[in-house]
Amino acid sequence: MATRVTAAVLLAVTGLLAGCGGTTEPTAKVAAAGEPVVGGTLTYLEHQPPTCLYLPAAGFYPNGGLLNQLTDKLTWQNPKTLEIEPWIATKWEINKDATEYTFHLRDGVTFSDGSPLDASAVAANFDVYGKGSTELKLPPAEFVNNYESSEVVDPKTVTFHFDKPSPGFLQGTSVIGAGLVSKKTIGLPYEQQCQLKNVIGSGPFTVADQIVDKEIDLKARKDYNWAPPSSKHQGRAYLDEIKIIVTPEDNVRVGALTSGQADFVRYVQAYDEQTVKGAGFTLYAEPTRGVNNGLYLRPSNSILSDIKVRRALQKGTDVKEVVDTLFTPSYPAATSVLSHLAQGYVDLSKELVFDPEGAGALLDEAGWKRGADGIREKDGAKLQLGVFVSLPQPLSKQTLELVAQQWAKLGVKLEVRPGDAGTLAVDIKNAEKTAVSHSMVGRADQDVIKSQFHSKNRDVILSKDGKLDQLLEEESALAVPAERNAKVAEIQRYLVKQGYAIPLFEEPQVYGGAPNVHGVAFEAVGRPSFYSVWKS
Amino acid sequence: MRKAGQSALVLWAAFTAAYVLLQLLPGDAILIKFQNPELGLSPEQIAQIREYYGTEGPAAYLHTLLGFLRGDFGYSIDTGTPVVERLAEALPETAKLAGLGFALAVVLAVAIAFASGHRLLAWLREVPSLFVAVPVFWVGILLIQLFSFRLKLVPVIGGTEAQQLILPVLTLAVPICAPIAQVLARGIDQVSTQPFVQVVAAKGASRRWILWRHVARNAMLPTLTMAGLTFGELIAGSVITETVFGRNGVGRLTEQAVSAQDTPVLLAVVVLAATVFVLVNLIVDLLFPILDPRLR
Repeated sequence: MATRVTAAVLLAVTGLLAGCGGTTEPTAKVAAAGEPVVGGTLTYLEHQPPTCLYLPAAGFYPNGGLLNQLTDKLTWQNPKTLEIEPWIATKWEINKDATEYTFHLRDGVTFSDGSPLDASAVAANFDVYGKGSTELKLPPAEFVNNYESSEVVDPKTVTFHFDKPSPGFLQGTSVIGAGLVSKKTIGLPYEQQCQLKNVIGSGPFTVADQIVDKEIDLKARKDYNWAPPSSKHQGRAYLDEIKIIVTPEDNVRVGALTSGQADFVRYVQAYDEQTVKGAGFTLYAEPTRGVNNGLYLRPSNSILSDIKVRRALQKGTDVKEVVDTLFTPSYPAATSVLSHLAQGYVDLSKELVFDPEGAGALLDEAGWKRGADGIREKDGAKLQLGVFVSLPQPLSKQTLELVAQQWAKLGVKLEVRPGDAGTLAVDIKNAEKTAVSHSMVGRADQDVIKSQFHSKNRDVILSKDGKLDQLLEEESALAVPAERNAKVAEIQRYLVKQGYAIPLFEEPQVYGGAPNVHGVAFEAVGRPSFYSVWKS
Repeated sequence: MRKAGQSALVLWAAFTAAYVLLQLLPGDAILIKFQNPELGLSPEQIAQIREYYGTEGPAAYLHTLLGFLRGDFGYSIDTGTPVVERLAEALPETAKLAGLGFALAVVLAVAIAFASGHRLLAWLREVPSLFVAVPVFWVGILLIQLFSFRLKLVPVIGGTEAQQLILPVLTLAVPICAPIAQVLARGIDQVSTQPFVQVVAAKGASRRWILWRHVARNAMLPTLTMAGLTFGELIAGSVITETVFGRNGVGRLTEQAVSAQDTPVLLAVVVLAATVFVLVNLIVDLLFPILDPRLR
């Protein structure tokens, strides 16, 4: 019993982490600074230490930034075109109803422990990612659906069988969580696979040294010779070494960068961007291509069950003020539920116009009258809603406080609560206490919208809306991309019309780099790849 | 013997109080880790996991207490590693930081207290009040900005072990030295006005002899008590210092455990802190008679 429970839990945990982001690999940013130089050390400051490094859990940014250097994937998603291109698989065939995929593998690829990256290793990886393992307490991965079995045709050919159509699988082989690890690694139990020392990949770097929660040193694999064919740079990584140092304090990271003690830093706050740029350093604001940072209104809350109230709050939120006051051009104001770079995006800016009068009229219509203290009342109850500060979201507290001011003008009280983990865990699933959720999800796939809203996934609005679930399920089963995009557009319209979503801005991953650092690339949802990086 | 019994009682009380308080907090480590809305686990499943971890009821209290008595602190719920392992990694780092921070604080305190006795340096009297008032966090950031980022005297990223310790030790010493300096300076003032000092002076002793041999020795007693009490400050300061400087240690471990409500780790930290507190006070008690013959 215990094992079963644990497996179920782990499954769920992975779902969460993998969902944090989701896709692909590098295209080198054009750096006009002469010929690449081989050698040198890159000092990279991370905001948080990595957590569990079981590959399907690699969505968490500190994990992804590390695993992206250590592992390769079967395919490579071009972050510009979002097309799937060859990598470890040189070509592939997919049957008509997307239930059978055959991959032909590149020759001579080895893991850093010397074992071959062949068909049986790939099969072993996807057997775990597809089905999980109760025995090893390994949960299956979010990006593989309807997996049945693998078949090693010959050492360089592997076929995967699915019991139902699995149109998303090809893209799934390119995501960060689909990094390939040696047979030895994939055969370890969950707790072991979580640990960095056990992660044996075929990537351009390997782990040289680690001080838990503080520092990880990577060194280049001299015999690495299997970058994606479309990469201009082939052969070993230019850098000799990468030092990843955990530096939680925001202004220490930025100060260390601008004073020359570090070469590259993750998570530059909006208010630090000018410091970085002003010092002549490079700011990288990478899109996350998913569900926008926004406020998500829960219809299961007794006040928000009225669509008029939800629509009123949507109309009464001045997104432009939020973005202009707290953020920078790196944070484009949202024009829909999805980022404008997401697949299936549709521009709904006309539906999302700031209209405080309209908002007031809707609230009047809904029967909420201003009380003596300016807050609206109905049947003796105040129009008061609760929201938690969301720690992963940039400047969440400031954002929510500003929105609370805007809503106060409408006669609505928004109670912004600090997100201490225990209270949050208890109250977050209670729509009465937590009427509004402040969140986002990054992932370069149409399914991202399902991750955020389906009642069996993240279920941020606790919708209990059968129609919404049905639309989301239809979307995830469509094999033709155009049809899928059309369905995603329909879902965005539905979410806005129902007043479920108040999209705020397209949340980026913001990095700062020294002027002498060239060739930094990012996968489709903003995780860095240092393979082609060199220092002048 | 009575002292040992009292100490054991204090430790047990600290353990129990921490245990009860952690139980009273909303949510727990398992809920935080597993009942995230993004996971989609049912309350029944969570209940099963909790059973698996065995973290509820009086039986769990006894089990944990007995474990502690055997030196088995259990496993961190957050990371799944044995708590002993995590402490073994963190403790030496914090011991270095806190030990050096305290030593520097004492040196600074003595310097300030004695120097401020001089007419021209009387303004130094105000310095401890300032030091008490500024937050450790701010001191750390200020020192980094000034010495590392502007003057580039010492790196905060990379650098040798010694370089990595300089600024954190200084940061920690600032708030610790303040109360010690205050009490010592006041002690010196008080003792200086006592009749026996005049007697010694009348016998022809030099100023310096009086100050070191008689005044300082007597003023040392309340200072020692205060120094013992700053231990709590030392722990609080190391939590912040370690986070600001990105150092590993008990402080950072505590901070992470608090945010995850990782009960086994927190209990171990509380008991550890209480143990050291008891030891420090024991040492202070033992030092008293050595300094003051009247107490022998």
